[in-house]
Amino acid sequence: MSDVNAVSFTILLVLFILVTLIGFAAARWRRADSMQHLDEWGLGGRSFGTFVSWFLLGGDLYTAYTFIAVPALIYGVGAAGFFAVPYTIMVFPIVFVFAPRLWSVCRQHGYVTPADFVRGRYGSRGLALAVAATGILATMPYIALQLVGIESVLTVLGLGSSSNSFLKDLPLLIAFVVLAAYTFLSGLRAPALTAFVKDILIYVTVIVAIVYIPARVGGWTHIFNHAATHLASVNPKTGKPFGALITPPAGEWAYATLALGSALALFMYPHAITGVLATARRNVIRRNMAILPAYSLVLGLIALLAYMALASPAVNAGVKAGGGNAQLAVPLLFEHIFPSWFAGIGYAAIVIGALVPAAIMSIAAANLFTRNIYREFFHRGASPAQETRVAQVVSLVVKAGALVFVLALSKSFAINLQLLGGVWILQTFPSIVAGLYTRWFHRWALLAGWAAAMIWGTIVAYRQPVPGVPGSHFGTSTAVVPVLGHTAYIAVTAFVLNLVVALVLTVVFRALRLRDGADETEPADYSADPVDAPAPVPVRSAS
Amino acid sequence: MTQPSRSGRHPVITWGVVAVLLAVGVAGTLVVPLYARTAPKLGPFPFFYWYQLAWIPIVAILAFAAYLLTSRTSRTSRTSRGAHRGQRRRDE
Repeated sequence: MSDVNAVSFTILLVLFILVTLIGFAAARWRRADSMQHLDEWGLGGRSFGTFVSWFLLGGDLYTAYTFIAVPALIYGVGAAGFFAVPYTIMVFPIVFVFAPRLWSVCRQHGYVTPADFVRGRYGSRGLALAVAATGILATMPYIALQLVGIESVLTVLGLGSSSNSFLKDLPLLIAFVVLAAYTFLSGLRAPALTAFVKDILIYVTVIVAIVYIPARVGGWTHIFNHAATHLASVNPKTGKPFGALITPPAGEWAYATLALGSALALFMYPHAITGVLATARRNVIRRNMAILPAYSLVLGLIALLAYMALASPAVNAGVKAGGGNAQLAVPLLFEHIFPSWFAGIGYAAIVIGALVPAAIMSIAAANLFTRNIYREFFHRGASPAQETRVAQVVSLVVKAGALVFVLALSKSFAINLQLLGGVWILQTFPSIVAGLYTRWFHRWALLAGWAAAMIWGTIVAYRQPVPGVPGSHFGTSTAVVPVLGHTAYIAVTAFVLNLVVALVLTVVFRALRLRDGADETEPADYSADPVDAPAPVPVRSAS
Repeated sequence: MTQPSRSGRHPVITWGVVAVLLAVGVAGTLVVPLYARTAPKLGPFPFFYWYQLAWIPIVAILAFAAYLLTSRTSRTSRTSRGAHRGQRRRDE
C-alpha cells in the first residue's frame, strides 16, 4: 500500500477531471433566464423528468457510504449488515404513498424545503425551525461520511499515506475544493449531470465485479462456506462469534426495525426531499419508485462483495494492516483482484459516487438554512437573488464544516454522528408526513414529541458500548426496548415515543383550547398536478 | 389490467388494490422469520440471500402496477376537481 499505482491513479484522475468539467458545464444545461433564484440554483428549475430524476435520485440516495459502509458492516458481522437490502426495498412502497402529496403542496406554494411546508401547514416558526435544524444536523455528518468513503479509496491507492499531514490530506482537500466550486456555480444542475457519470461507473464496476471476482476467490460455494465458518468463529475481542451468515432469532427484531426505520427516515433527509421537489411532474416520482429498485439490486450485489473480500486472504491481510479498518475491504478487493486499469474505474466509481451526494446534501442543507433560518429569523424580506447568494455561500460553509469534521476530529466521531443523524431525522416524520394528511395534530404537541424523541434517542445511543469495550459510547444503533424486551433500532423506538407524546398532548392541548396556528394550504393543493402552469417563479426560459 | 377504464371508475377499489400491493411490498421483507433460514438454497445462495434479492424486482413490479392504477384514477378525479375549481388542467 506504499507505492501509488500509476495506472489506477491516472484512470481515477482522468475520470475526476471529466466529472469536474461536466460539473462546471452544468451551469449552462437547461439554462434559465436567471440563476438568481433558489428554484433554479437549489432545485434545478423544478424541471427534471423521469430519466434525469432516476439518475439524480439514484446518485443521491445510494452514496459512497452505501458502497463502503454496508460492505464494511457485512465484512465484520455478516447477515446483520444485509438489512440495507430490505431497507432499500421497503422504502419504495412507503415513499410511493406520500411523496406525490409533498411534491404537489410544495409546487403549489413554492416551498423549497420540508420545513417550508411545516411552516405553511402549521403556521409555526418553532416547529419549522425544529425540522430545519434537525435536517441540517443530520446532513452534516452524512457529508463527512462521503469524505470518509473517498479517504478509504485514497488510502488503498497509496495516497494519503505520507507522513506529512498536509500532503496526506491534500488529495481530499483538492477534491472537495473542486466540488465546492462547481456546486457553488451550477447548483443542483451539477450533481444531476455528474450523476450520469457516477451511475454508469457504478453499474459497470458492479456488474464486472459480480461476474469476474467470484471465480478468482474460489467460487460462490466457497465464498458462502468461508463466510459462514469465519462468522461463526470466536472474535478474540468480544469472546463471542463475529456474527452469523443468517440472522439468528435474537437478531430478527433489530434486523426488521433497522430496515423499516431506515426506510421511513430516508425521504426525511433534506437531500432526498430536494431530489423529489426537483422533479417536473407529480407522476415522475411514482414512476421512479418502479425503476429506482435497479439501484437496490446494485446495493445487494455490492453487499455480497463483502463475502468475496472475506474469501480473499490478500484483502484480509490488507484490512489487518490498515488497523482492522473494514471500510478498506471493497477498495482492497478491487486492488487485489482487478487489473490496475479496472481498479482505477472502481475507485473512480466510489469517489465520484461520494461527490454527487455530497453536492446534493450541501445544497439541501443550504436551502434549509436560507429559507428557514436566514429568511425566517434574520432577513424577512430577502429577495430571491439574496436567498440564492446566501445559499451558495452556505453550501461552501457546510462542505468546509464536513471537511473539518473528518480532518480535525476523529473519523469515528463522524460515524457516531451519522448514526445519531438517522435517529434524529426520523423524528421529523410525524410533522412532515402526518401533516400531508391531517391537521389534527397540535403544533406544540408535535414539537414536544420531536423534543422528547430527540433527547431520548440521543441518550440511549450514547449509552450503547462498543462490543467488547466496556464504558465506550455509540457502539451500536440498536438497544433493548423498554417493556417489550426485544433489541430494536433506537430510531424506531424513539419514533414510537414521538408519536405517543404527540397524540396524547394533542388531545390535552385541544381540551385546553390552546391556540393552533393558521394553515395556508387547501385540501386540493395535495393532489394538484399543474401541468402547464409554470413553476411558481416566472424566471424560466423555454427549454 | 386489460380493461383500464373499468377500474378507473371505482377509485375506492383502485386505491384498495394499490394499498394491498404496497403493503405486500413492505411486508415481504419486513417479516424476518419468513426468510431467516439457509434452505432451500438457490445454487450456492442460502435462502436468506436469494429471497431478499428476489424481492427487489418484485417490489419494482408492484410499484409499477400501483403507478399504472393510480395514474388512471388520479387523472379522472383530477379532471373533475379541476373543472370544479374552474382551473384548466390538461391530461397527457
